[in-house]
Amino acid sequence: MSTPGPERVPSTVKVGKTTGQGNPPSGKPGTGRPGGANRPTGKGKGKKGRKITPVKPGGNGGPIAIAVVVVLIAVGIIGWGVWASIKSDKEKETPWEDRAAAIAGIVNYREDPDKSLTARDHKTGPLTYKLNPPVGGEHNARWQNCMGDVYDAQIPTEHAVHSLEHGAVWVTYKPGLPADQVEALTSKVKGKSFSMLSPFPNQESNISLQAWGYQLKVDSADDPRIDEFIRALSLNASVEPGIPCSGGLTTTGTTPSLTGQ
Amino acid sequence: MPAESVEDGDIAADHPRERRGYTVLTHALVALVTLAVGLAVGFLATRPSHPGDDSAEAGFLRDMATHHGQAVDMGMIAYANATLPEVRSLGLDIGLTQHGQVNIMQTWLREWGLNPNGSRPPMAWMPDGEESLQDGLMPGMATQEQMEELRRADGKQVDILFLTLMRQHHLGGIHMAQEIVEISDDDDVKWLAQTMVETQQSEMNVLADLLKQAQAA
Repeated sequence: MSTPGPERVPSTVKVGKTTGQGNPPSGKPGTGRPGGANRPTGKGKGKKGRKITPVKPGGNGGPIAIAVVVVLIAVGIIGWGVWASIKSDKEKETPWEDRAAAIAGIVNYREDPDKSLTARDHKTGPLTYKLNPPVGGEHNARWQNCMGDVYDAQIPTEHAVHSLEHGAVWVTYKPGLPADQVEALTSKVKGKSFSMLSPFPNQESNISLQAWGYQLKVDSADDPRIDEFIRALSLNASVEPGIPCSGGLTTTGTTPSLTGQ
Repeated sequence: MPAESVEDGDIAADHPRERRGYTVLTHALVALVTLAVGLAVGFLATRPSHPGDDSAEAGFLRDMATHHGQAVDMGMIAYANATLPEVRSLGLDIGLTQHGQVNIMQTWLREWGLNPNGSRPPMAWMPDGEESLQDGLMPGMATQEQMEELRRADGKQVDILFLTLMRQHHLGGIHMAQEIVEISDDDDVKWLAQTMVETQQSEMNVLADLLKQAQAA
């Protein structure tokens, strides 16, 4: 163990002298390492006489510097590759909240000071809501089936709010919306789990989209923000991850389930 | 030590030590570079490389999650309402299995950093897949009206409807799962899809037998 230690010091010095692989640099002055080619001779001479001083600083310079540069370049290239591959992953992972926030006109009620808007208790019987349609709040123990179900009549709001909790996007429209508009909405919902469509009598806009804590009102079924809303929020907005949209009630009307059955 | 060593070095100056010194340094540098390369290769090779947003795998997971979702719906209706105990138990079996698999598939999408909702139409991941849509629904999917009929049925009609709809549903599901096994090279996805193929193929016989029983009853 003790031997390598002392050896190391002088050996570094030696390297400085003989970059040219032990052969005196005179042979090929113009080869690969210009810096290394000339120095060793000079340094070597100087050192022969004086043993003490030049040990470290100057002698190490050439080859070590080159080697360090080579290592740095290699590490740099590798690091860049690794960084680039990580970065491309990051871009892919835009959180759904950010995608939702980027939709013009969307309202996020999740941080609203009025916590009743997103209250989660189960209550039996008819309930009243501050928003029409609501985006959350107390609701019935039963949920409305939201497996891409298209309801052609009003559904109990108390059930629909429960579906939002499961991650459904609830698309509602003002009764009397032209048939082609309803048809366009139907094609966006039908067969798509975690969504449902129904008319909603008391809403202001022609079309309104609800997810748990989020709402977007639009005038036309052709509005591209409808697809953006569904893509960003359907399932993602669930506050009970893992629960399905199946197993719900499919009855229409305004009376919520009284029995929990 | 320093003085001595310098002297040592100098004496030995011109040959063996010198080489050895050079070699030590070279080895050190080679080791460093090798280490860096090794780390990088190791990092890049062992880190999971995930199928992307437009991949067949992502399309399959999204569509199969929806497809399975309806089987869960059917299975639980049968579990609650069917007449034959075997049919109720099969409904529970299918419902629990497929609900669990939905969550496996959703979890993978989440781990891959992918939205559970794709931007492409259903079945677009499959060659000529969009042509297999029936009125916008994936192969084997029951219509909303058929599901409502199943919900409202009673007596042995529940059994018959459930078994009939589930056979169709399985046929569509097997077709989709076989396709992804064929075209994917993702081991996890292939594994899950292969289990779907095998399970549902064997259940086809059970469904056929039970359907005969239900119709005879």
